[in-house]
Amino acid sequence: MKSKRSLIRTFHTLWFAGLVLLSCEPLVTDFRDIEDAIPYEASSKTNIQNSPDSLLVMTWNVRFGAARIPWFGDSCGDRVIMTKSEVIAHLENIADYINSVQPDILLLQEVDVESKRSGYIDQVQWFLDNTHFNYGAYASMWQAQFIPSDGLGRVDAGNAVLSRWEITDAERIQLPLRTDQDGLTQYFYLRRNILKTRIDVPNRDFYAVCTHTTAFATDDTKQKHIEMFYETISSIDTNAVFIAGGDLNSVPPEATTDYCMSDICSGESFHQAGDDPEHKEGSYFNNFTEEPLLLQSLYNEYYSAIEPESANSTGHFTHSPWNTESNNTTYWDRKLDYMFSSNSLSGGMTHQGANQLSDHAPVSAVLGLP
Amino acid sequence: MVGVLSFLCATAAAQEKLPKGNFETGLFQPLRYGLSENIEISTHPVLMFFIPNFSVQKRHPNWAGLALVSRHSLVVPTPLLKMVTKKGVGGFISPEFDIPLMIALKNEIQLKRTLNDSWILSGTAGLTFSYCSKKLDKRTTIDLPVVFPRLGVFYNGYGINFRLDFAGTLLPRLDLLTDLNVLLLPGMEEGFAFEHKNLLTWALSNRMDIQIGYKLIFGEYPFGVQWHLFPLLDILWRW
Repeated sequence: MKSKRSLIRTFHTLWFAGLVLLSCEPLVTDFRDIEDAIPYEASSKTNIQNSPDSLLVMTWNVRFGAARIPWFGDSCGDRVIMTKSEVIAHLENIADYINSVQPDILLLQEVDVESKRSGYIDQVQWFLDNTHFNYGAYASMWQAQFIPSDGLGRVDAGNAVLSRWEITDAERIQLPLRTDQDGLTQYFYLRRNILKTRIDVPNRDFYAVCTHTTAFATDDTKQKHIEMFYETISSIDTNAVFIAGGDLNSVPPEATTDYCMSDICSGESFHQAGDDPEHKEGSYFNNFTEEPLLLQSLYNEYYSAIEPESANSTGHFTHSPWNTESNNTTYWDRKLDYMFSSNSLSGGMTHQGANQLSDHAPVSAVLGLP
Repeated sequence: MVGVLSFLCATAAAQEKLPKGNFETGLFQPLRYGLSENIEISTHPVLMFFIPNFSVQKRHPNWAGLALVSRHSLVVPTPLLKMVTKKGVGGFISPEFDIPLMIALKNEIQLKRTLNDSWILSGTAGLTFSYCSKKLDKRTTIDLPVVFPRLGVFYNGYGINFRLDFAGTLLPRLDLLTDLNVLLLPGMEEGFAFEHKNLLTWALSNRMDIQIGYKLIFGEYPFGVQWHLFPLLDILWRW
């Protein structure tokens, strides 16, 4: 009897100690260097073409369904948490646009998956269920149970690839973290990634690669991100076809590199003696010597949706932080969104008409298949 | 916020009868005072400035052979919630929202049965009513375990709770408290939270105890259901 009681007491103590040791859950998710991305499937499938000779491919930073609201983080606004109906209305507009373009493969950036700021909607699943796409893959760049800042709360946001055809393999490749932040800020900050997917396009070895490189780093993190993106697509089998792109947060070679004064919010000051920082984060593209030429190697090695000689024309600008409270009618003032491929791209188009759906314009092109 | 979480967790820890004229407090637990042999009052002295709170507990004559205790608590979380409604670090609630005056009145009845010399089983049922000076925007919820179901009463108007405690002595200086707490918000989409706690209390001296344990939570939140496991640690003093 005594030994039985002792056994129960020992078991209870071990169970108790184990639970206490296990009971410190991290607030923010860390990722391994390479891990599986999260697969998705539409609730109902649409028909697919059996042997396409070309694909319509598109990239779009959809701003987590915030459309052009004056969000606090990027457009001089004070909005943080949207209502669910507000987000659904924005997503419906985006889905209508996607359905009108009918791309075969779509690279998405800034997609939210059950984040407080966007009404806890799983936007990857929502897009799959409200467009013609059948399969998706998702890689989070910011996953936290709670961000105790600005009322953000729970966040899960990242990159996604949507496809008509099955995604047979999807991996999340971790990009280096910023080194210009204090430890606490870095702990709660974004962990950007490259989402590399293999898609079962009939009779083809096909890859789609999506990324969203750092926007606000003032060190050489952006260079590391672009280099890693380049290395990732360079490592794809030369017999395979790939489309790679996203929001690279870099301007094309020979573009204007300083947007501080056009992006300035009331109460801010830049470029004056004593201003710290001297430049507005995310609005200055000359933080280190090589930054204005970061994309040169991609343009040199691969086909691009928009030819390099056209990349600096106003008709191909894809971003501006304009918001609904702005009196300015210039919706686009720089190019940040790109697509590159192993194979010829034609009919490159920057969809500037979609200027109320996000703070980025989609870019599309037709990818010829060998 | 850790302190607030612990305060919200701590109610079941105050199990022992406090003799008249005696005080007891903890790092995270309220200051208790034995006003008489049957009445005990408590408040959290530090949190009082951020969450005005006051509680009174009365021991009633036994009922059907069971010890009967009633507990009534008043909590005003408005000052703390206003403090954390801000831009930047420490902003748990977006500054785009207003926090009104919020008052919660919690009423509980507890029945206790002594199983043998060292173990006590008790059951508690409670009803919390809330008042808000204006309707709260549902986007102001703090979607964290422990916090969400307790602040949920301000969005729902009322809440119900049931708790089962099993407390006793494992070793001469080592006590155990195991509880299961169910929090219900009838009518709300996120309507329940199950909380289980195991707490070991080691008597360092007649005046000081150290507590260590865990809290396991399964609850509904605006994003869905989730499990959470937290460590509990506290030091208690009495005089």
